[in-house]
Amino acid sequence: MTPELVGLAGIFFLLLLLTLGVPIGVGLGLVGLAGLSILISPEAALIKGGVVSFETISKYELGVLPLFLLMAHICFAAGASRDFFDVAAKFVGHRRGGLALASIGGCAGFGAISGSSLATVATISSVALPEMRKAGYHPGFASGALAAGGTLGSLVPPSGALIVFGIIAEQSIGKLFAASIVPGLSQALFYMATIAILCTLNPALGPSAPRVPWRQRLPALRKILDILLLILFVIGGLMIGWFTPTEAASVGVLGALLLWALRGGVTWPGLFGALRSTLRTTGMIYVVIIGAILFATFISVTGITGLLSSAVTNFHASPILAISVMALVLLLLGSFLDGLALMLLTTPIFLPIAVNLGFSPIWFGIFLVRTMEIGFVHPPLGLNVYVIQAMAKDIPLATIFRGIIPFLIADFVHLGLLIAVPAIVLWLPGVAGA
Amino acid sequence: MTIHDDSSDFVIDDEGQIGREPATAGRVGEAAYLVGSLGLLVATAADAIAVAGRHTGIHLLGSIEVVQSAVVLIASSAMVAATIVGSHASVHILTERLPAGTARRLARIAALLSALLFALLAAGSAWVASELWSGFEQTELLGIPLRWLRALWIAAALLIAFLFLRAAARRSP
Repeated sequence: MTPELVGLAGIFFLLLLLTLGVPIGVGLGLVGLAGLSILISPEAALIKGGVVSFETISKYELGVLPLFLLMAHICFAAGASRDFFDVAAKFVGHRRGGLALASIGGCAGFGAISGSSLATVATISSVALPEMRKAGYHPGFASGALAAGGTLGSLVPPSGALIVFGIIAEQSIGKLFAASIVPGLSQALFYMATIAILCTLNPALGPSAPRVPWRQRLPALRKILDILLLILFVIGGLMIGWFTPTEAASVGVLGALLLWALRGGVTWPGLFGALRSTLRTTGMIYVVIIGAILFATFISVTGITGLLSSAVTNFHASPILAISVMALVLLLLGSFLDGLALMLLTTPIFLPIAVNLGFSPIWFGIFLVRTMEIGFVHPPLGLNVYVIQAMAKDIPLATIFRGIIPFLIADFVHLGLLIAVPAIVLWLPGVAGA
Repeated sequence: MTIHDDSSDFVIDDEGQIGREPATAGRVGEAAYLVGSLGLLVATAADAIAVAGRHTGIHLLGSIEVVQSAVVLIASSAMVAATIVGSHASVHILTERLPAGTARRLARIAALLSALLFALLAAGSAWVASELWSGFEQTELLGIPLRWLRALWIAAALLIAFLFLRAAARRSP
């Protein structure tokens, strides 16, 4: 059996294990170790497992992950989760589709705290969906906007997905954060444009809510000002080189604690709760990262990526065509794998090919996360849709999926734009020198 | 259907309520939370002090080594905590549609495979640690002994393997 065939068999077994419900990190790690045992030797595989696991858990750079998670959990405990929608609704709610626009703004703002798509859609939907339904919004349109808006949580910095990508692809997390800002903002604008077009074509989709006077709007801004300043300070400071990503996260934790104290709600149970939630999520991600690094080592030994790269080169396809095919494969895999599994399975295979085609690894990270985000809303997996359905059981799944279609079209156009114009991703990290 | 977020610990339950994983951790879990929380606070303080020092012209050396050591505490205890509450990320698209008995059998196999992986990681780490033990490996500036951190990780990996084994044994086929 050639190493390439062993590699393909490994990928097949990994997909089988994941489908059968084996934890993602465990599946990746076992296939990685088994593959290395076959291709090198069982002793080498065992030692590699020991080296990789300790190196991973003692990596300074990985400290960024639990610390950003802690910052997010402290912000949740401080009650900052729903304010973004409330404030945006006061400013644009009186326009046609205004509450849907506000939900996109709320998702972008909350995404900057949570770094997670499902947390974003769950939190914003819990406050925005009842408001939109009360205002007479079409259920499919309202839930479609929320499901799509929730995906912003995976891209807007400090994104958990980008941190994991940065670690497994050995790329600068600061550059990835900087690179995600313009695509994140443009994605939000695409969704807002979609809402505006839909409401112009069919005003009944999102009727106007009563106008909130300016004397109520400006004071409402105060509710999110502290969080906005904290995010700006942490991400801005990271981009202009005041601190490293891990330091930025530490400063963010202290800032979040200060903000919580100023809001007057700090309690020991609240703090312990934030610490415990952080540890549970951190533990799950560490297992996945250790598994992913072992799997990536195995894939690099098989030479599969070299084989695929030369196949792409021999095909004489243009880089854009090749990356578009890659996007299609990712979207197909995203139909039954969740985002994290998709990223960890495909990064070791697709990243070297993309780099050979002349794409920057930073650009690839944003492309991958953007493609992964689409998987959160497209059928049959579309986890964001199930989150919304769990919260509004009277809206049928088919209605929500139909409501998502216009936003999916916007997603595909936006993804195409990122592929055609990589500068959208690479301009800001270049300027900021992150 | 309960929806679990693989990148945070948000849960939407059958009633559509947003909640968090239950924190029924037992004594081992409480110890893991304590060690991990200590690590998180130490890492936060060390880096924040280093940043403040750098921007006020007082350079404090060794913060990276302190954070590195704290990260070992965080990661080891976090993996134990995640195992105790069963919050490891997995794909549910097939298992949710299977009959309960088949799903339980698959869960038992998954737990056994998970125990195997952590036992292998513990064995590999123990092999490496035994080779380096007599070298008194330590960090450059502060001289933090790494062999005790390696020992902590090996103990955590063995504990996780045991927890998965126990979970496999408890699930009735």
